[in-house]
Amino acid sequence: MKCLKKVVGIGAVAYAALFAVFFFDLDGKLLFNVVEPFLVKHYDEMERPDVLKTAYDMNKYPKYDA
Amino acid sequence: MDIKKLAKDFWYGKPHTAEEGGRRLGDIQMPKTGLYYHREWRGVKDTFYYFHNIWMYNYVHMVMDIVKFGNPINFLKGTWRYRWMGQSYLPVIHWFDRGLAGLRGEALRASALHYRAMVSAALTQITRMFDADVRLNGGKKNDTYMHTIAMKETTWGGMVYPWSDKFQYVPVEMIPYFVTCHVNSHTVHNYIDAVQSIGLPADPCPMCQAESGLFVLNDFPECSPMFITCNEACDGSVGTAVLQDWFFDKPLYALTMPMLFDDPLVKENCMKDIEGCWKFIEEQTGVPFNWDLLVECIERQNKIQEFEWEKWEVAASPKGNYPINGVAQALYRIFSSQYGDLPIWHETDKKVRPILEKCVAKDIKTFPQTTHRVLAWSCAPLYYSNWCTWAYNCWGLNVVINMDSLMFNMTIRTDSYEHCLEDIAVYHMWAPMRRMAVGGMHHIFECWEYMEKFNCDMVAMYDQLACKGMQGVHGMFEDEFRKRDIKAFWMPHALPDSRIVSRAEIRRLINDYMTTVMHEEPLDPSLLEIDDDMTW
Repeated sequence: MKCLKKVVGIGAVAYAALFAVFFFDLDGKLLFNVVEPFLVKHYDEMERPDVLKTAYDMNKYPKYDA
Repeated sequence: MDIKKLAKDFWYGKPHTAEEGGRRLGDIQMPKTGLYYHREWRGVKDTFYYFHNIWMYNYVHMVMDIVKFGNPINFLKGTWRYRWMGQSYLPVIHWFDRGLAGLRGEALRASALHYRAMVSAALTQITRMFDADVRLNGGKKNDTYMHTIAMKETTWGGMVYPWSDKFQYVPVEMIPYFVTCHVNSHTVHNYIDAVQSIGLPADPCPMCQAESGLFVLNDFPECSPMFITCNEACDGSVGTAVLQDWFFDKPLYALTMPMLFDDPLVKENCMKDIEGCWKFIEEQTGVPFNWDLLVECIERQNKIQEFEWEKWEVAASPKGNYPINGVAQALYRIFSSQYGDLPIWHETDKKVRPILEKCVAKDIKTFPQTTHRVLAWSCAPLYYSNWCTWAYNCWGLNVVINMDSLMFNMTIRTDSYEHCLEDIAVYHMWAPMRRMAVGGMHHIFECWEYMEKFNCDMVAMYDQLACKGMQGVHGMFEDEFRKRDIKAFWMPHALPDSRIVSRAEIRRLINDYMTTVMHEEPLDPSLLEIDDDMTW
């Protein structure tokens, strides 16, 4: 019984916390203010090849094994 | 303090209009970012429906779909590697919020199901691209890579139905470009700027620019040994295909899409071209064309179209029982008709049917504050596809149907190879942005016919500033609007590029039209001017 009460209590707190995240748009605020700027910085710093140096090859056909 | 009113507002949510005490949706948005001080209180029933069945359900199912469709490790690696993935797909629930703002009851339920289907369909493609990607799999061309067929996003997915038991089709730009614009409008700017940085002038269609830019930034998964491209929507796409051929560097088949497709000789030529494409796939894969599989897939797709017709019948009725809002209707339809058959479309239609039937049987007015029934014509701004949600909430403008939904208005015959091929050619030629945008005056002016069919009294006329085709008929539309005495407003935009015409500018133009021409009062004045310049 005590254990059940504990489970129900934890469940109720978790549910209330989730509802607070939902209602106050905390997920949106976290993504906009923290996650996205972090990822954008990472993508901006990523090294990218100069695609203009790609040879314009033709007729390269791979072998298939369907 | 009116306790009775407070209790009523808590239980049912505040009423829509300012006259009734108004819910003032503009007041819950934070300046610039469009984030919410708090999400909307829609009354007990609908708020908890949103919390459980939309917010929580979709977060959970996004994770479940990743596990179901692919390898979660590859998914994480892909998120780290590709900007369009990490930057765009995290705020997906906010995309729901923007599109579903203000909805209640059956309209909320049915529209959200359409959104959920699009997320699932997107994850089918994303997981496939990542599982096949040479970059994410130690430089190996694995079995998934060898069984993936890349096509340009505007080529109908049904082209590979005859191989769909062994191969999966990936529309190259649908996720990295098209879908991202709706979810996070900032991402695409990188790709537009990238292609201009190698010398492309800024005035071609920004869709074609962004699609090419993906390859300039080397930001497309190396996920298929071949590529089928096409000249859709216009010669801008031919330019895209040239750059893709160079940078993607694969065996390529250029499937042509005739501009003026009403000519029977053109259709005949198109049928031969489609057979040429099938021969290319046979040669590349070594797997023969499977007629039975083609029939099976097309018959499943026809079922989706048949239900769409049932939906349109309800949408067309002036009784106002249609439970799907403008943006959910437009995006779901273009996604499903362009991608082709997927189990999620059938699952969604199965869930939407009882809602639709309930609305009709009980005569539920799903958009009770409708002031005008609007037909949206031409190509919509991708960065503000949810403008119609705003327009209903602010002015009562109910976008009943749109051009993109109506393009593939057909089923495909399967009684013989000849009939089937003929219909596939028609479907192929009626491609997005082709049939009613640059497909000739007869089709562009189908606007009037559909306005009547759907009982619309107003047209929202999209004005894609970089589309040379539609810019050419601007004056003719003006003349026709005057001649037919049709209420219409123009909505300039640059398809994916929110920097050319901002969302605020679009709203200002509609506000001006509604006040100066229509002499109407807004239902929710808090939405007239919102500062959402930095929003996703």
